[in-house]
Amino acid sequence: MHIMEGFLPHPWWEIWFAIALPIVAYGVYRLSKVTKKIPEAKPLLALMGAFIFVLSALKLPSVTGSSSHPTGAGLAAVVVGPGITSVLSIIVLIFQALLLAHGGLTTLGANTFSMGIVGPFVAYAIWIAAKKVRLPIAAGIFLAAAIGDLVTYVVTSAQLALVFPTAGGFFDAFLTFGSIFAVTQIPLAIGEGLLAVVLFDFLAKYKGQLLSAMKVIKLPTPASTQKEPKQQ
Amino acid sequence: MAHSELYAQIDRYAYINPFAKTSPVTKMLFALSALIISVSSPSPVVPIIVFAAATILLLRLAKIPVHFYLDMLAYPTVMLALSCIIIALFFGTGEPLTQIAFPWFTWTIFKSGIALSVATFLRVEGALSCLFFLVLTTSITDIFITLRRARVPKVLVEMALLIYRYIFVFIEVAEKMNTAQKLRLGHSGWMRRIRSLALLSGNLFIRTLEQGERTLTAMNARGYDGNIRVLEDQPPAKKTALAGIIIFDIVLVLAAYLTLNVGVL
Repeated sequence: MHIMEGFLPHPWWEIWFAIALPIVAYGVYRLSKVTKKIPEAKPLLALMGAFIFVLSALKLPSVTGSSSHPTGAGLAAVVVGPGITSVLSIIVLIFQALLLAHGGLTTLGANTFSMGIVGPFVAYAIWIAAKKVRLPIAAGIFLAAAIGDLVTYVVTSAQLALVFPTAGGFFDAFLTFGSIFAVTQIPLAIGEGLLAVVLFDFLAKYKGQLLSAMKVIKLPTPASTQKEPKQQ
Repeated sequence: MAHSELYAQIDRYAYINPFAKTSPVTKMLFALSALIISVSSPSPVVPIIVFAAATILLLRLAKIPVHFYLDMLAYPTVMLALSCIIIALFFGTGEPLTQIAFPWFTWTIFKSGIALSVATFLRVEGALSCLFFLVLTTSITDIFITLRRARVPKVLVEMALLIYRYIFVFIEVAEKMNTAQKLRLGHSGWMRRIRSLALLSGNLFIRTLEQGERTLTAMNARGYDGNIRVLEDQPPAKKTALAGIIIFDIVLVLAAYLTLNVGVL
């Protein structure tokens, strides 16, 4: 969903920056709080960042001045919280713009808003709701990651439609962009949901204590599974 | 992973090009100011000037090989061209350029759609050249250190430098595991390939995390306090270079103002 460098004209790129930055600032505040309290969480945080980077670099082209790819932000939101995920996302988006010309610096605000803010906050809300109604953990993770991914593309479609209206107006353009994305994105979202379930399972099994220290899961998994996996 | 080669290349030029030892402030000021003026200008002339300036600087002074620069430009340009064709054909409002009647609907191509498409194409190309100028002349570490000096929160810069390192660890671990799986016939047959992929993605995650934890322990043992210190031996920005950039920016703003009414069509 990374909108290309320069694809959004003035004043849209400034508007999206103005919307995204306060939320990223809140994320920085959360990040400094968490890293002060649990310094050993730093590798996990950086790993979630690298995970978002790698997943969202696996892009399929899409003829919308953008591209289609998994985001990884849903799983990150569940594990490290949506505020911190917005910080990780903006860092990852800067790297992708600089190293891969994927996304851009002027479209950073818009891309952060869709991938780093709306996607993760929706994913987190779904995860909390799924915990409330006692869905199995796997189902909660799947829904959070898959829907978080799809919502990101809904936001991108709206961002593009605001700039490129069709004769039918904003809503018509929104549907056009949305349907171009949907072709590639629905299978990708399902794939991302499944991957998130597998990875969360691994994390809970091997790093249960860290996750419970970060209040992701309530009970640490039984002590027997807490052992470090043997080095092969 | 093909991407890893691209970063390695970009990173290499960022360290060896003739501008590598000039002040990152100068380079960032040039790239970002030109980027912002070019993207904000409604006129199609400014992006063309910016594109020409950044390309000449990169190829002539920073000595980036032409074929590498073209390789970098090729993919975004092709994608952009396709997107712009779609915009030209299907988007826009107002005065129609031509109408094609189909039995079930009338397809209208609008003048404003074509103008929008050409303006977008030029704007993106101008912006891309600035972005490439920045990454090909300035290393990521320099960029983030400059940001830290510019009072960007320390914790954000720290996280960025850690993520930057982790991306490479992630790719290295994945490549090693993939090679190991291939050697043990893990990719012989479709089902095995799927199983190998599942094992790889799960273990990749845990392995990278553990590698990171070991690195953090090593850093803590050496007195890590949340500040990643690197040798900051970049010279201060030269006044003449800064003056040159300001003059260039003024010229761009003037050009934008004078060509305000130059339309594409």
